Amino acid sequence: MPKFTPNRAFGRRSGTVTVIEAKVHRSSERRARFAFIIAALVVGVVTMIVASATMHPILAALLGVAVGGPSGALAWALFRIWPVIRLVWWWLPEIAFVTAVMYGWVQLAQHTPMWVRFVIVGLVVGVPALVPAIRRRLIALAWCVIVRHRLRVCFAQFIVANQSGSLPLILWARPTPVGERVWIYLRPGLSVADLQGRLEKIAVACHAYSVLVERAGEGNSAYLRFDIKRREVLTANVGTPLVDVVDPDTPKVPRQPATMPTALDLPDVADEPALAKAAKSAGNPNGKKPAASSADPSSTDDDINDWI
Amino acid sequence: MSSIARDPLGTDRVPVGPGLSMFDPMFVGIDEFGEAVFLDVVYRNLLAAGEPGGGKSGLLNLAAGTAALCDNTRLVLFDAKWVELGPWRHIADEFVGRDLDHAISVLRRLVTVADNRYQWLLAHERRKVNRYDDLSVIVTIIDELAMYSTVLGTKPQQEEFESLLRGLVSLGRACGMPVIAATQRPSWDIIPASLRDLFGFRAAFRCTSLNSSNIILGQGWAEQGYNAADISPTNQGAAYLLAEGGLPRRVKAAYLSDADIYAIADYAAWLRRPTTAAFDWGMAA
Repeated sequence: MPKFTPNRAFGRRSGTVTVIEAKVHRSSERRARFAFIIAALVVGVVTMIVASATMHPILAALLGVAVGGPSGALAWALFRIWPVIRLVWWWLPEIAFVTAVMYGWVQLAQHTPMWVRFVIVGLVVGVPALVPAIRRRLIALAWCVIVRHRLRVCFAQFIVANQSGSLPLILWARPTPVGERVWIYLRPGLSVADLQGRLEKIAVACHAYSVLVERAGEGNSAYLRFDIKRREVLTANVGTPLVDVVDPDTPKVPRQPATMPTALDLPDVADEPALAKAAKSAGNPNGKKPAASSADPSSTDDDINDWI
Repeated sequence: MSSIARDPLGTDRVPVGPGLSMFDPMFVGIDEFGEAVFLDVVYRNLLAAGEPGGGKSGLLNLAAGTAALCDNTRLVLFDAKWVELGPWRHIADEFVGRDLDHAISVLRRLVTVADNRYQWLLAHERRKVNRYDDLSVIVTIIDELAMYSTVLGTKPQQEEFESLLRGLVSLGRACGMPVIAATQRPSWDIIPASLRDLFGFRAAFRCTSLNSSNIILGQGWAEQGYNAADISPTNQGAAYLLAEGGLPRRVKAAYLSDADIYAIADYAAWLRRPTTAAFDWGMAA
């Protein structure tokens, strides 16, 4: 089984670093074999049929074999290196970023004097570091990249998938005010319920406070959405856009002035037995209508409110 | 006075319109992921419940503010405490304070309007009012339902109030007459289960017990972890919102300060000035 460059610096006892797991490796071997047979057969037969229109059938068959064989080999090679392509795809943002930084640095080094390089590096690093909005945005994006890897680790390490060891497709991720939201397309062998039982472990793997998983849409049960929560937003003060609708320069419509009630303290309100009786009758089916409903509201407001 | 469009029911159309409509979902706050939460209140009813100081009135004022700024929308307000919905009384078509007779007569009118609207819908071979119908949306907001159903008036009056309210809540849904109500604890003695279950959206603000939370959201939610008693008492405006998603969502209702409320109310009054010019002050008080 081919393993990637032995690297003792990492201190693995076996002396090899397993990049492609054994299960995935076996499955890839089998699939590559099938791909070779199918591609060689289909391309060979089609070539033979097309060629037989213009040449002798035996020659056409030979041509079919000549074209089908390499086509099958190509398909086999693609399937064999597919795990590596997938690995490259997973790490593409990082690979692209590092390549761009290295390339940019080399170009700078070749074409500019030292002080210009310092100024450019200072700007590229300093501006995001000093402007909080940009800094927060960059950190949020970095978490999106990290969390996709962490979720893949979860699926590969402790969420049992199918026999061929295929992992769910981790689609895109975007920052939310509390953390990240990641969309995932499940492969056969998993369901929402399986994942809901493992949310605590996923939260640990993602270095998060909690993780929620739900269907991303009504239609497909394989299409899921992970909400990774790192912060609490419900304690924040929430404003409303209604305030922005208000034009501060609008003239005021004249209003009827409010009548100022008197008797704002207990000694100001005289003892009225009839009123007390009426208030009590509120809970009595046979009681009569209380005077409170038609009387000055200010005189009875306070005590009745306390009843509920 | 500007010319006012006449609607099929023969009432004056309210000429308000910076582009808002009650048929658009109403912004209520954010969910636990920081995403904005919108409620389609016009086809549902909203019940907000929870202990005093939990943030119910904030939600009610938000609803009143939204309705006040919406085009072709009428406000009917019930507030036995006067101050919670009081800022909107000048633009409300009806403002009911502590007079249960007045409350009953307003509800009776509303039920009649709802009934007429269904006749109108029947004549048009339809089952639901939509935004293109040129019918006004009549938003009824009731703060502290318990005052009307248990404290004020006599028992027969309270019963009549309850039955009329049940009629309005069940009828209003499809004819553009939503009801938004708040109460501290919607137990059977305050609001019958049959009436409570008609409210499509429930917002459970902080409660003191698991039982109270279940009473608001429905049996069994607290045991599944949706327990409004877990909300921190210092976190006013946080609630569990049971909406059409099926599961209660943790939300934080948007907050309007008193200055904001009066600013919006003044602006809404100015927007609605063609009708308020001939306003009957006696009716509003």
